[in-house]
Amino acid sequence: MGSENNISNADESNRMWASASFVGVLIIIGMPLWWKTTEVYRVSLPYEKISSFKPLSHFVTTELKVLANDDATASKIVSEIQKAFAESDIIKIKIEKTVMSERQQHILRSVVDMEKAVEELASTLDLDQENIFHVVQKKSLSHNIWVGNERIMFFDDEKASETIVKALDGWIYQTSVLRGSRSDTPDQARSTRFPPESAYHITLSIVHPRPDTMKVVWNAAEAVEDYIGSFVDELSSLHNFTLKSQWLHLLDFDFQAREVKEVSEWGRHFAVRQDRLSLLLTRLEERAATHVSELSTINLALYIVPCDKAPIIIYDNEGRKNPLSIQAFMSPKWGGVVIASPPAEQCSQQVREFEPSVGQIMGAFVSHLRELLGITKKDAIEGAHLEPSRSVSPRRWEVDALLRIRTLEQVTSAERTLQSLAQLLEEISNIVINDEVGASIAAAVSELEAGAGEGAGADAARAGRAHAHAQRAFTHPGLLALLYFPDDQKYAIYIPLFLPIMFPVVLSLRILLLWFMGKPVHKEKTD
Amino acid sequence: MFNSKNFLFFIAVFIETIFNANGDLFNEELFIKPLPPAHLYTYFQFTTLVNDNLSSEHTYLAPRSLVEVLTRFQVDELHFTLTEGQWRHNHWGYPVLDAAPGAELYAWFSSDVENVDTQWKKLSSTLAGLFCASLNFIEDFNTITPQMALQPTGAIPQNPNITSQLRYASLPREIVCTENLTPWKKLLPCESSRGLSALLNSRMIHNTNYHSIGVHTRKVCSSSDCSVVSLEIKQTVALVYDSKIIRTTDWSFTKLFGQGLPGGCPLASSSKVYVDITTNDTQPFLLSPEPEKVLLSQRGGSETKLALYTIKPENKMTTIGAKYISKKDLVLMKLPPLYFNRYVLGYGKEFGGIVTELTNTFWSSIDVVVLQNAPWWLPIQLSSLRINGEASSEMVLARHYSPGRSRQKPYHLELLLRLPPKSATKITIDFEFVFLKWQEYPPDANHGFYVGSAIITANLPTARNYTSLPGTASLFESSINASKPWYPAVFRTNGVMVSLPTPDFSMPYNVICLACTVVALAFGPLHNICTKELVLKVVGSSVTLKQKIINLFKKKKE
Repeated sequence: MGSENNISNADESNRMWASASFVGVLIIIGMPLWWKTTEVYRVSLPYEKISSFKPLSHFVTTELKVLANDDATASKIVSEIQKAFAESDIIKIKIEKTVMSERQQHILRSVVDMEKAVEELASTLDLDQENIFHVVQKKSLSHNIWVGNERIMFFDDEKASETIVKALDGWIYQTSVLRGSRSDTPDQARSTRFPPESAYHITLSIVHPRPDTMKVVWNAAEAVEDYIGSFVDELSSLHNFTLKSQWLHLLDFDFQAREVKEVSEWGRHFAVRQDRLSLLLTRLEERAATHVSELSTINLALYIVPCDKAPIIIYDNEGRKNPLSIQAFMSPKWGGVVIASPPAEQCSQQVREFEPSVGQIMGAFVSHLRELLGITKKDAIEGAHLEPSRSVSPRRWEVDALLRIRTLEQVTSAERTLQSLAQLLEEISNIVINDEVGASIAAAVSELEAGAGEGAGADAARAGRAHAHAQRAFTHPGLLALLYFPDDQKYAIYIPLFLPIMFPVVLSLRILLLWFMGKPVHKEKTD
Repeated sequence: MFNSKNFLFFIAVFIETIFNANGDLFNEELFIKPLPPAHLYTYFQFTTLVNDNLSSEHTYLAPRSLVEVLTRFQVDELHFTLTEGQWRHNHWGYPVLDAAPGAELYAWFSSDVENVDTQWKKLSSTLAGLFCASLNFIEDFNTITPQMALQPTGAIPQNPNITSQLRYASLPREIVCTENLTPWKKLLPCESSRGLSALLNSRMIHNTNYHSIGVHTRKVCSSSDCSVVSLEIKQTVALVYDSKIIRTTDWSFTKLFGQGLPGGCPLASSSKVYVDITTNDTQPFLLSPEPEKVLLSQRGGSETKLALYTIKPENKMTTIGAKYISKKDLVLMKLPPLYFNRYVLGYGKEFGGIVTELTNTFWSSIDVVVLQNAPWWLPIQLSSLRINGEASSEMVLARHYSPGRSRQKPYHLELLLRLPPKSATKITIDFEFVFLKWQEYPPDANHGFYVGSAIITANLPTARNYTSLPGTASLFESSINASKPWYPAVFRTNGVMVSLPTPDFSMPYNVICLACTVVALAFGPLHNICTKELVLKVVGSSVTLKQKIINLFKKKKE
């Protein structure tokens, strides 16, 4: 019996080892090999760093110089400003106070004209430096404060401190817009302006629906270069611009206008409802060929109304007539449209020739462009005087504000992009991350890390680069290479082999485990 | 090839017709030619001359999308056609512009472009988006650089290396459809609302025997010494109607295009319709309305009569038509001086050959360049080249051969031949069939594989059946009375199809399933033998519940 037992024991251990080797080959080698060969290629990414980003923690820094006639006034103003901005987590202001020299005081006393005073003062102050704003005391102002085109603000005396704080908050630093550019949900300004990019194309399309009945005299190239060109030149530190123009003939659009009788040369006007106008954009998109450009295009369109439909006047949704002489509207993140109606005396002539007013129309386009590029409208502040801009170019401090907004927007958007990419990768296992995308992500992360030093605000150039890298990674077509390669195809090749084979192997696992633990394998057979 | 003096004359014509300060000129022309016995050729030509003095960023009549593409990729000259059907040269004579079946694209890049191949790739992808055509399939492996067959037609600075800036590709499988015509129409200043382009109704024009839409851009001289060049954009549509399809030999605009002509394009300097009435002598027909003028064109010994209609923008709906008076006479077609045919030889799936037959019916010899372009999966060997069955022939004046490389470069053979008078020449070249990887097969692989047309460039000594414009001219009217010592022409032969060895594509999966099943079947007993012990069962031992159930089933079966 003993030798028989030994033999059966030896047999049993042979069988168990055979079973174990099946398990070893199939489960320990086979399965990982299967997973490895059907794996989606992914470069290792700095997930930890990405998840540690806090988009809401960013802020911008700026410098402010307060110049007053005496130290007491300067200190008063500085303390008021410091008190107002101390709590702000979005902007950190470094304030410096100075008592003006005799010469500066003399200039300010003697020169009455504000613009002249700024010009004279520029010889003693460095107004060309970006991101430095001056608050200067100038006695006997008509308002509490005065703001012009340069990086300078005049105030009357220390009673103006409240107005100064309001103007700094609302006009110069635009903290609400800054906050909007950082927050999760876009504010009014952010949903209007174009998303940050290194370059834009600006295309002016002149829409002439009836070239056979009227001649339109309009030098598009000159108008674009003169007006839009000088406006965007000032923004060249932020973006590159390419200016273009085209004519779109015979593009007719039915405004579904309602004829309204009135007392004028025409004896009528056509009322167009505001909600109808968005359909014009669809019609324009068909022909404007904006998709050819490699960059995003800001569209400006001048619609010349044919004589039999003129003049057109836009009514808002409450049925109120547009009070301005120019009929124009803007579409957020798309562009602006001006509707130009020919004058009545032209339409009554045999040979019709219409020369739209270049200054008026281009002025409307520039005001559209300001908002589309992120320069917001300035609300009036009591006691503060904002000198109206005489030329088309933006004010110097507006450009500074825009730079701060864009920087903050780019940093937070780059971080959010990377975070949502990381989240997508977690959720969708089919996304491929090739070396190129991996490098872009790494570059974006390193730019963001380098820029996120404690205390320092966001750096414009770094922010731009980080944003560009993050965008490139997120929109890389390589991500989608295997997106539509479903999981069942991955299993299709191996399931016919593994499924029938795995059944006996997996079932043998129980007995194998019992045997290894030294427990009796065959209960019923032992007795 | 460029004759600036001749061009000066046309500039003078242009100056008369200038009507706007922006300097762009747009002309639209339609040429109708009956092709007896049963076909009708209509050719639309829309020519925009861009005054390039300002910059390419500002456009007036020219399509900004196209101008921008040309500027961005620094293209000097571009020819793009989308064609469905086959032009039959021996029956129909020569078209104004010939085109290869499917999509064909070739372009000369500016000499400033250093990496022509990357620019070419980018250009073809951009045009793919612009015209909704599959030009993005143009890769290195189907692009060639013709050495002799193609010459720029525009004003390009003299450059001995001009061919190095040229790239040519054709996609013979491409199918042309409405989705290509719509973006094409958007390039016209009048789009399709007014002018001759209003006739291009996609429902009607795809109902033809042959249709081809094209965009041709080039630089033309705008000063006498050619120091200033301007851009010419020519958009063409060629249609061949079959009287069997339209069910009558009489034709009119309404029958051909589904509607009349709603006046000319108000932006055009001229809108003209020419009807070739030369065949009126043998196949008399009546034109209605009466033509404005009948022009007699004598060109290289052949006479053509053209009826001219000028379409004014303010014209009301007009329709031009022809009614045949008698149809009894049998027509004897005059054969064109040169025609050709191409077909595939061989049987089985190992070797084959392509034959190109060229027939010279003229009484003097004709010099031609024949360009054969074979994809990498159809290797043609120069050693197997036979001309009229002989390995070496006196007819070959020059030869260029560039062997292909698997998955990288196509095979490319160019021959400069002198075709003897009244002769037929047969060029034969053999190929082997190649096995493709399974992912390289196109959808519906059993349909066959298209091989692109051969290009035949000839300097014809006679203008018989010749309708093309003189090289420097922009408008169709300049082909009237334009006699020349010779008439340059670029033709495409018919395409051919070969059937490559094509596997059953479900086979790999079937094999996997079958093999796995066999392995699994074998594995079961093997696993059992290795891991299980056979134990004898004692008779009469207690029966478990499980065993009872199994026994129940066994009894039922019995």
